[in-house]
Amino acid sequence: MPTIDGISDMVFRTTMTHAIQEVMRTMLNQRADFHSEIDARKPGDTTPESTGSQIVGTVGFVGDIDGLIYLYLDTEFAAASAAHLLGMTDDELEQAGDEAINDAIGELTNMTVGTFKNQLCDRGYHCKLTIPSILRGSNFSIEPTSSVTRRTYRFEVGNHRIVTDLLMKIDR
Amino acid sequence: MRYKILTVDDSKTVRIIVKKAFRTFDCDIIEASNGVEGLAGAAKERPDVILLDVTMPVMDGVEMLTKLKADPALRSIPVIMLTAEGGRESVIKIARIGVRDYIVKPFREEVLVDKVGRVIDLKPLSENPVKAKSILDSATILVVEDKPAIVQQIQDGLKHTPWKIHGVATINEAVDFCTRNQPDIVLVSLSLPDDAAFTLFGLICTNVKTKYTPVFGLVVKTEIQVQQQAQQIGFTSIVTKPLDIPDLEAKISKAMNLDTSQRYFTTDQEVFVIKMPEIASQSSVNEMLTYLKPKMAEAVDAGICKVILDLHELKRLDVIAIKALLQALQLCRELGLQHVLVGNPQIASESQGFEDTKSWTFASSLEEAKGSLARPSPSLSAQPVAAGA
Repeated sequence: MPTIDGISDMVFRTTMTHAIQEVMRTMLNQRADFHSEIDARKPGDTTPESTGSQIVGTVGFVGDIDGLIYLYLDTEFAAASAAHLLGMTDDELEQAGDEAINDAIGELTNMTVGTFKNQLCDRGYHCKLTIPSILRGSNFSIEPTSSVTRRTYRFEVGNHRIVTDLLMKIDR
Repeated sequence: MRYKILTVDDSKTVRIIVKKAFRTFDCDIIEASNGVEGLAGAAKERPDVILLDVTMPVMDGVEMLTKLKADPALRSIPVIMLTAEGGRESVIKIARIGVRDYIVKPFREEVLVDKVGRVIDLKPLSENPVKAKSILDSATILVVEDKPAIVQQIQDGLKHTPWKIHGVATINEAVDFCTRNQPDIVLVSLSLPDDAAFTLFGLICTNVKTKYTPVFGLVVKTEIQVQQQAQQIGFTSIVTKPLDIPDLEAKISKAMNLDTSQRYFTTDQEVFVIKMPEIASQSSVNEMLTYLKPKMAEAVDAGICKVILDLHELKRLDVIAIKALLQALQLCRELGLQHVLVGNPQIASESQGFEDTKSWTFASSLEEAKGSLARPSPSLSAQPVAAGA
């Protein structure tokens, strides 16, 4: 069985960048640019969960490799993205409520993680997606256990930032 | 018959996107949020195509697909996978169970419509299915022509219509235009380099959004071979250069199946007005006569009993115009309608030269005609009826 040790940091980064760019371009007609990699251990570097009010989509993948990706969007960008996807005005989206935004962000996360893991599948790491879930709030933090690796990337989409947090189980 | 599309996805967002993608097509979208609901929906509604996700709670898409294909009553329903599960091995495994197509998320709505359009004959939804479009409604006409003078001539010639004429010089621009807009008709020059007109025709015919759009070929009159080629492959009509704008307008109206009766018939303050065009060509007279009986019957049903035959724009009174007018007068007489002719001095003079029309008298304006009809014993009517009887 292939192990994640066989995949370099650069491959993870380019795979994630491709996934984000593909989803933003196709579904939101937006250009996404890789901004930086966040090293949570580095003093002064901001962890994704420490910034303002957030909506976070989560989808996992299980199989030859197991992992989880969190997609962080600020609430304003999440609402704008949901409105675009659903073809709704701001008023219509407000009437539809948080559930509509949650579902839309869940689907964007599903597509992003799908595009990410499909590239890994084509490299021989077969895995399946899990059902999306959503976290909402501000000033919260997600702490990985010591048995996972963590890679966090920032992307710029127009005036907004998207952060992806990739957590993968170290080989069983 | 409206086609039915069943979308099976646990994401309401995806189901809304699917509904949005097909909102301009004549089809119903049925929703299910997992495989169990999907199977029940398929059995109850017998959809024409199923769009199926893989990762769903309760029952996933692979299980639903397997059960669907094992059911003799449902196995023939075409399934298109619409899923984020797109690894090569997954796709091959699912394809083996039996799917018509496979769309990996993220996806564009156009791709979805295109793939579904290959399975069912999607037809654009008419905005108003009851009332036919008329010449008073706006329409978008795309002209693909690399000679700006021709585009300008069409724009100038049709500026009296509510139609928007959009000119482009290349097929790339035309395709781009068709992606963003839905033209009501496309006029393409058959003289574009590299047989581009025929390439564009093929693209228009295979695109779900435009496959029912009429396409005219623009060509110099003497290029017979190209005209034949265009007719053979199915161009709606050929328009020859130099352009005959009234002829082009008539062809466009016909191709778009427009109600053109307003060109000839109006109701003005309880008076039914039949207006002869400036030039009474055989095609325009035929068009007018098509509407004559139903429009007059409509007027009578509305309680109208006065008719003005307005010839003041007519440039020449010839046999074609006279035959049409005699038919209209005959109908007035049969229906017992009071009627008056309005004409210009030229027409009044020419009417003296024909046996059937020499007794006709004319009011010089619509106002004078209305005044005449208002009097108990109209002085300007009846004569033509006697002449035509």
